[in-house]
Amino acid sequence: MARLRFIAGRLAALAVLLLVLSLVLFVLQEVSDADPVASTLGANASQEAREAARERMGLNDPAPERYLDYVGGLVTGDLGTSFRTRHPVADDIGTYLPATLELVLGALLVALVLAVAFAVSSVLRWRGAGLVRGLLFLGSTTPTFLLGILGLMLFYRDLGWLPASGRLSDRGAVDGPTGLVVLDALLAGQPAVAVDALQHLLLPALALAVGPALSIGRVLRSGLVTTLDADFVRTARAKGLTERRVLARHVMRNSVNGALSMTGLQLGFMFAGALVIESVFSWPGLGSYLGASIPVSDFPAIAGVTFVLGAIYIASNTVADVLQGAADPRIAL
Amino acid sequence: MLDLEPARPVDRGPTDRPVARLHDLRVSLSRNSRRTEVVRGVDLEIGRGEIVGVVGQSGSGKSVMSLALMGLLPASALPQVSGAVEVDGVDMATAPEAARRRVRRLDLGVVFQDPMTSLNPTMRIGRQVAEAAGSPAEAIRLLRAVGIPQPEQRYGAYPHELSGGLRQRVMIAIAIAGDPALIIADEPTTALDVTVQAQVLRVLAGLRDELGCSILMITHDLGVAAQIADRIAVMYAGEVVEEGPALGVLEAPQHPYTRGLLRARLSLETERGRPLHTGLTDAGALDPDAGTDARAPSGTEPATAVEEAVVERTTVSAPARSEAILRLTEVRCEFAVRDARGRRATLAALRGVTLDVQEGESLALVGESGSGKSTLLRAVAGLETRYTGTIDGPPRSDVQMVFQDAGASLTPWLSTEALLLERLRGRDLSRVERRERVREALDRVGLPETTLAAKPSELSGGQRQRVALARATIVPPRILLCDEPTSALDVSLAANVLNLIHDLRRQMGMTVLFVTHDLAVARIVSDRLAVMYLGRLVETGPVEKVIAEPAHPYTRALVAAVPGARRELPVIVGEPASPMAPPTGCAFHPRCPVMQDECPSTLEGIQLVEIGPRADVEARQHRVACVLRGEF
Repeated sequence: MARLRFIAGRLAALAVLLLVLSLVLFVLQEVSDADPVASTLGANASQEAREAARERMGLNDPAPERYLDYVGGLVTGDLGTSFRTRHPVADDIGTYLPATLELVLGALLVALVLAVAFAVSSVLRWRGAGLVRGLLFLGSTTPTFLLGILGLMLFYRDLGWLPASGRLSDRGAVDGPTGLVVLDALLAGQPAVAVDALQHLLLPALALAVGPALSIGRVLRSGLVTTLDADFVRTARAKGLTERRVLARHVMRNSVNGALSMTGLQLGFMFAGALVIESVFSWPGLGSYLGASIPVSDFPAIAGVTFVLGAIYIASNTVADVLQGAADPRIAL
Repeated sequence: MLDLEPARPVDRGPTDRPVARLHDLRVSLSRNSRRTEVVRGVDLEIGRGEIVGVVGQSGSGKSVMSLALMGLLPASALPQVSGAVEVDGVDMATAPEAARRRVRRLDLGVVFQDPMTSLNPTMRIGRQVAEAAGSPAEAIRLLRAVGIPQPEQRYGAYPHELSGGLRQRVMIAIAIAGDPALIIADEPTTALDVTVQAQVLRVLAGLRDELGCSILMITHDLGVAAQIADRIAVMYAGEVVEEGPALGVLEAPQHPYTRGLLRARLSLETERGRPLHTGLTDAGALDPDAGTDARAPSGTEPATAVEEAVVERTTVSAPARSEAILRLTEVRCEFAVRDARGRRATLAALRGVTLDVQEGESLALVGESGSGKSTLLRAVAGLETRYTGTIDGPPRSDVQMVFQDAGASLTPWLSTEALLLERLRGRDLSRVERRERVREALDRVGLPETTLAAKPSELSGGQRQRVALARATIVPPRILLCDEPTSALDVSLAANVLNLIHDLRRQMGMTVLFVTHDLAVARIVSDRLAVMYLGRLVETGPVEKVIAEPAHPYTRALVAAVPGARRELPVIVGEPASPMAPPTGCAFHPRCPVMQDECPSTLEGIQLVEIGPRADVEARQHRVACVLRGEF
C-alpha cells in the first residue's frame, strides 16, 4: 500500500516535471531564430504560401494560446508532427526508441557485471582485482566516443572480431514484438541472428558501460566493506556457515542499497551517452534521429525525444527506489 | 519456564573432559600497523555444564579471547595466536577452516551484545534461526523454547519489528540451535533494559539446567556474572588475574584489581556520602600513546597501586528555600513517525509531565527505553521544540548538556582548546583571559594541559567525557543536563565522572538534571528521583526513600531488577510497550503484578499524589501515580 502511494507520488512528480520541461522547450522555441515554416516549406516558397502555412500551423496566435495547444496535444500523446519526416513524432520515436533501449539495456547489463566483478574481487582480494580496477579506471577517464573509436580500431579494423556498425549484418531480418533485436530473434527461434545482433551490440554497449560500471562498482564495494564488518555477519559466521553462503545470503542484500540508487542515476546518464555513441556506431536509435533533427531545427522532434528521455530518467530512478525498498524492509517508501 | 528437550540424543562424551580449554593463550592484533598483545597467556578450562563468568573492563582482552574461542578473530587485524584454544578437542586457531566451521555449527552457540546489530536486518528472523536449526519447524520450536510468544507469527518478522528483549531471545534461539555443548555469551544483557535484562539472564541460566550445556559469560558487570556464574575469572590487561568460585571471588577477592573492581562497582548499598572508589586507574589516560584504546600499557603490574581519589564528598542537599529554577507544566511531546510496517503513526514521547526542579538540587530521571526521559531533557535544553505545555527556566545559555557518547558529541576535527574556546566566543575577553579560562576549565575536570592540542580521537573515553564536561562548565551554567554520561564507560571511569559531576556541582552551585537507566547511579548523583514510564512520571521523591520504600509497582520492579550475587531476580513480565501504542489508563497495567480492575481506565491513577508525611520542602515530598498509593 505504502509502495503504491509512493509510485503514485512519483508519477505526479513526473507530470509536474514534464510540464516544466514543456515550458522550457516552448520558450526555447520562441526565442530561437528557427523558422518552422522555412523548415516545412523550404527556402523557395512564396510569401503567400508561407503566410498560409503560418496560419494553418497556428503560428499567428498569441503565445499563451499556442502553449496551451501544445500542452493539450502532449496530454493526448500528440508530440506534434516532425517538420523533417512529416510523420507524427510519437511514431518516429516508436521506430527509433527500441534500438536505443536495446543499447542501453545491454550497456546496463555489462555495467552491472563489471561493477560486481570489480567490487567483489577487490573486497575479497582476489588475484586479478588490480587488473579489473586498473582497466575500469583507465576506461572511465576516457571520453565515451573516444572509447568507441578505439574499440572499433582494435576489434574491427585490427582483429576483425566484431562488426563496425548497425544492429544486424543484413538489415530487418527479424520483426518482433519487443523491437529489441536480440530478444526478437530468440523469440523467433533464430539463434544465429541473435548471436549476430549480440556481436553488433557488444562494442557500443561496452563503450557505454565502462564509466557507469566504475561508479556503481565503487559504491557497491564500499557497501560490501561496511557490511562485512557488521555484527550480523559475525553471527552468520558463528553459525558455521561457509564464507560463500555468508556472502550470498547475508552480505550482498545488505550492501546493494547505495549501488541501486547509483544505478538509477547512471541509467539516466547512459541514455545521454547513448545519443553520442549511436553516431559512432551508426546505431539507428534516438541519437541518430535527434542528430538529424537538430541541424534543421525540427523542434517537435527535439522536444519529443527530450520528453521521452526525461520520463525514462524519472522512471528508472523510481524503479531503483522501489528495489531499494524491496531489498531492505526497514526502508519505508 | 523453558520448554526444552534436546532434539537429538545427547552424547556428551566423558563428563570429566572440559568442553573448552585455553592454555597459555596469547593473541596479538595489529591496528594501524601497531601490534599489541591483547591476550597474554590465559589458562582457562570450562567444564561440562559449567557456567563460567569472565569479568573485565574494556580492553581487558575478554572479547578477543572469546573470538579466538570461536576461531573468528578479525582477519583484517592480522591476528597471531600461540598456545592452545580448544573446543571439543579442536584447536580453533590452527585446525583447518572446515573443522573449525564444523565446531561452530555443532558445538558452539553465540549470543552477542547488541541483538539489533547482531541479527541480519533484511532477513526474516525465522529464516535466521532456521539457518542454524536446519528446518523451519525446528526454528519455531526453538523460538517457542526461548519464550517468544506466537512463534509461528513471529517467524516472518524482521528484527526491527521486535522489541529488544525479543530480539535477544531470537539470538539465544540461534545460539541453542543444534544443541551446542558451549554457549558463548558476550555481554548479552548490556544493551537491554534492566527489567528485560533480568528476564534474559533467567533464560540463559535456564539453558544449562534444561540442555546441560556450558556457558561462557563475558561481562563487564560483576553483578551480572555473580547472578548466574558458578566460577568467575577476572581479566585485566590480557591476563586472568583471579579465578575461583563465584561467591569466593566476590566475598573474599584476593587480587587488588578484583578488590578495586568490587569497590568501584555501584550498587544500591554504596555509601552515598563519600567519594566513589576510582581505584582502577584510567589506563588510557596514563599512557599517552594509548590513543582511543583504554588499554593498559603492557608490562605494568595490574593496578597494584590502588590509588584512591581523596575528594572530600559531602552530600549536597537541596537548599531549604524552595525556589523552582525550572518549572514544567503538562509537557507533551508527540512525533509523527512510521511504524515497523511503514504506516504513519504517532509516537507519544511525553504524555503530560509536570515537574518543578529546585535551585541547586540534583534530580535523577530514571526509566527504561521509551520512557521519554531523554526527550524531556532535550526539551529542557531547547533541543526539542515540538512540545506543548510550558517549560519555564533560565535562558538557554544558562543550560548546558553532556551526552552519553562523548566521542560523538565532540567535533572530530577540533582540538580540545578549539572546542573550549568556541564556548567563549562573543564574550568580551582578552586572549590572555580566554587562555586562562580554558586552563581553569581543564584544571577543574582534572585534565593535564597536554590534552589542549589533542583531537577527540586521540583521547580515551574517560578523557573525552571530561572534555565534554569542561566544555559545559567553562561558562558556569545554572543547570547542567546529563544524558547517561557514564553508561558507555567502565566502572572506574564512570565513578570518576560521577565524582567530577559532584565536585562541579559543589563548586559552582549548579542544578543537575541527570538521566539514567541505572538506579545505582541515580542514587549516587541525585537528591531526588523521578521515575518515568512511557512518557509519564510514576513516582517522585527523595532518592533514598524511593529506593528503600518504592511506592509504585514499576519502581519496585526496577529496584528488584538490579543484579547482584544471591539476589532472586523478580518475575516481571513483558517489556515496556511501544510509545506508539501506549496502554490505556495506567500504562504499566499490562505488566503490573498488583493490577486492579480500574487500572486500564483510570484517570486518577496517572496523577502524582502526595503520600507519606507532608514534607516542609517540596523536593522532599514523596509522590506516586498509582491507584494503590503505595499500599500493596
